[in-house]
Amino acid sequence: MTASDSTAPVLTDTRAAWSVPAWLPWLLRRLLVGLATVFAITIIVFAATQALPSDPARVILGPEATEQAVAVLRGQLGLDRPLPIQYAHWLGDALRLDFGRSLDSDVEAVAIVRDRFGNSLVLMLLVLAVTVPLSLLLGVALAVRRDSRLDRIAMAGLILFKALPGFILAIGLILIFATNILPVLPAVSLLDPQRSPLAQPSYLVLPTVTLVLSILPFLVRLVRAGVIEVLEADYVAAARLRGLSERRLLWRHAVPNALVPTVQGIAMTARVLLGGAVIVEVVFSYPGLGSALNSAIEMRDIPVIQAITLLQAALVVLVNLVADIATVLLTPRLRTAARPTLKPGSRAAWKLSGGGT
Amino acid sequence: MTSPPFTRRGLILGSALAGGAAIGGGLWLARGSGTAPIATTAQTDDTPRRGGLIRVGTIEATQSGNLDAHAPLGAGIIRGWALYAKLWEWTHDCAPRLALAEESETSADGTSLTVRLRRGLEFHHGKSITADDVIFSIRRLSDPAVASPYAALVSPVDRDRIERLDDLTVRLHAKPGQGLVALPETWISFGGIVPTDYHPVTNVVGAGPFRLESFVPGQRATFRRFENYYKPGQPYIDALEIIEFGDQTARAHALIAGQIDVADLVPSEQAQLLRATPGVAVVVSPTNNVQSLDINLDHPQFQDVRVRQALRLLADRQDLVNRALRGEGRVANDLYAPHDPTYNHAIAQRPHDPDQARFLLKQAGAEGLAAEITTNNAGAAAALVFAEQAKQAGLSLTVKKLDDASFNGPQKNQRAISTGGIPSRGFLASALHYDAPTATSNRTNFRDPRFGELLTAALKEPDITKRTPLVHEAQQIQHERGGLLIWGFNHVRAAARANIGGLASELTQFAGWRFDDLWRREVG
Repeated sequence: MTASDSTAPVLTDTRAAWSVPAWLPWLLRRLLVGLATVFAITIIVFAATQALPSDPARVILGPEATEQAVAVLRGQLGLDRPLPIQYAHWLGDALRLDFGRSLDSDVEAVAIVRDRFGNSLVLMLLVLAVTVPLSLLLGVALAVRRDSRLDRIAMAGLILFKALPGFILAIGLILIFATNILPVLPAVSLLDPQRSPLAQPSYLVLPTVTLVLSILPFLVRLVRAGVIEVLEADYVAAARLRGLSERRLLWRHAVPNALVPTVQGIAMTARVLLGGAVIVEVVFSYPGLGSALNSAIEMRDIPVIQAITLLQAALVVLVNLVADIATVLLTPRLRTAARPTLKPGSRAAWKLSGGGT
Repeated sequence: MTSPPFTRRGLILGSALAGGAAIGGGLWLARGSGTAPIATTAQTDDTPRRGGLIRVGTIEATQSGNLDAHAPLGAGIIRGWALYAKLWEWTHDCAPRLALAEESETSADGTSLTVRLRRGLEFHHGKSITADDVIFSIRRLSDPAVASPYAALVSPVDRDRIERLDDLTVRLHAKPGQGLVALPETWISFGGIVPTDYHPVTNVVGAGPFRLESFVPGQRATFRRFENYYKPGQPYIDALEIIEFGDQTARAHALIAGQIDVADLVPSEQAQLLRATPGVAVVVSPTNNVQSLDINLDHPQFQDVRVRQALRLLADRQDLVNRALRGEGRVANDLYAPHDPTYNHAIAQRPHDPDQARFLLKQAGAEGLAAEITTNNAGAAAALVFAEQAKQAGLSLTVKKLDDASFNGPQKNQRAISTGGIPSRGFLASALHYDAPTATSNRTNFRDPRFGELLTAALKEPDITKRTPLVHEAQQIQHERGGLLIWGFNHVRAAARANIGGLASELTQFAGWRFDDLWRREVG
């Protein structure tokens, strides 16, 4: 869409091609800060899981177990060793991606997390693959037609979807497409754990649609607000006076500048989805990361809690990093600056401009 | 300008292409295959047929559990019904019946039990079942290193004094002063017989109706029919899947849509929806699962028997059944195991008599008594209803709800009043849980000397005619001065698609778990 009239810069200066991009040192600094954050998180995760009330050994063995049985299990789990020693052992193992065995099911914690993460990742990518282009198209279309009847109806509809709790949306979809009216899709996502979720597409449809419908309103409004803001800017008015076509104005000037808040909006959505779309996981019985973490906390299954929270924290750091890089690359002023700075509070401002959550 | 060969336009174009590919892929993926619900017609033919797969959906909100025969966790108990066979099995009337054992005999003094295996039995991996496996199995169940939550059920057995009489026969001896009369009942549930090379993770082998095929904790376990199961011709189906759900509504939807065939332990609020669904049948089992309020006799306020009786008279049992169990249960008379042949039916049902209760409280100087009822999620409704009933007599009972781990923690026997309950069991087995001298969970701290003597004697008396008067007297004592306020027995529901046979109402809660009895109507 943007390539039709673009003229790629022809690089004749070979020194320019080999020179270090101005933002590279910034990127390296950001990477280091990210790693330090993850390290700090390991300490918090370990300390927090130790601070959980009640005894994992008792939770595991249940009401019938005697105190002796609980004491034996505590010993077997190493819960009776001093905390710093437990942390040192744990960190060493964690660096080798060994979080120990699940206290609950006696399977490698990493294996549980890997499967669940795979499922959550597939769902997240599908949702983003549908939501991002759709919200861009809808957002731009509504921005261009702002205050028209279509825009007003669409905005009202979006607010309605946004106001609808996720589980009601999900159960409504089940009643319509799985059990009562037009039963063409499975009601719950009983993924066969032996096969890839991608090989079982019918189980992915309703969870994806539910998440798309609950996320779309936020992103559409974000894009719409961004594009409107740019279209009202002085430089757009100036370009319009110079006789640029509306089409060219929109796609070459307005949309690229409106993308920055959208990128941050997408990043936020990705962070939420990575945390596990718990509603969907419960209503559709979809085996994702969120319900695994929930069960692990209920069971005080410390190895699994640690593996999941650490993975999620690392992913949030990564998503933020990618979003910030995209923001810098999308903003010529930041890209060419020696020290690009995303001002504190800018993410929140972008969110607000979209009427975000 | 020293900018790299990079443009915003290039980035946007690249992202758009990648996104386009993703959405294309997404649409391809979302094309959907769909699983239409299986059409069912009411069929009256009740002759079991061979073949097919049955999927059982079970609720395990938090615990993934394991496959251990002797220390099952979470849905491990249900998977155990598929994997493991025991020396005895539960009848529909909640009594033990010989299974892998051909004969079992308790000595006249009740202190030893001789068990002989059937001839020609095999494990899933083809090894014959011998006396060595039986000895290995009970020693493993009671092994402190295995830390089984259910080891206490066989605690009367002296694990270091087990005799191997021949290839198929074993003799067990009781620890000094204890009896083994209740052992068949207490040993059944977690007494899976496993081979001496058994390992709960790497060699999951038993002699149950199904062999393990795969197990993904927290999601599902798949099983294949065991051809050499000890019941000829059973199981009827070729394959079984046990699927774990975290949410009741999701499981109900799966059953309605035909994605699962059977749902066990259906809560009463779901039963109504499922009963109204064509193609789904709900089977109600009026069990003798006990619902109790355990009054702690160690608590100064409750040492006076008049106060305990007042609390029992205050309980409006029908109201408790109606509200705490949504009407899906029956009232009880502060005694457990009414199905036991030794049960004392001569004891009259205790009425709801708040006036008499107030009179007794006044006599005991306990008017306006204040105490705390400690409960967990399962007992919260009953605790709240009872607290409200007690308030009308001027008592101030506050309800404190704990998570299961804290509720069952080391403080469990020290609370003033706590909610409790156990599955249907015979009198002796229930007493070994609740209030016998060697009870595993005596939250009432009831230690009446005469009651203790009677229980100890009954546990050593294999002759039922001689045991009955002992139990009658013991129940009289419980009813007159015990600490248990047993207000009801709850029904248990299982639901299945109409094309599933072999699911019947019974006195136990096992209706959805008898996988060797289940069959599909449309096969064969």
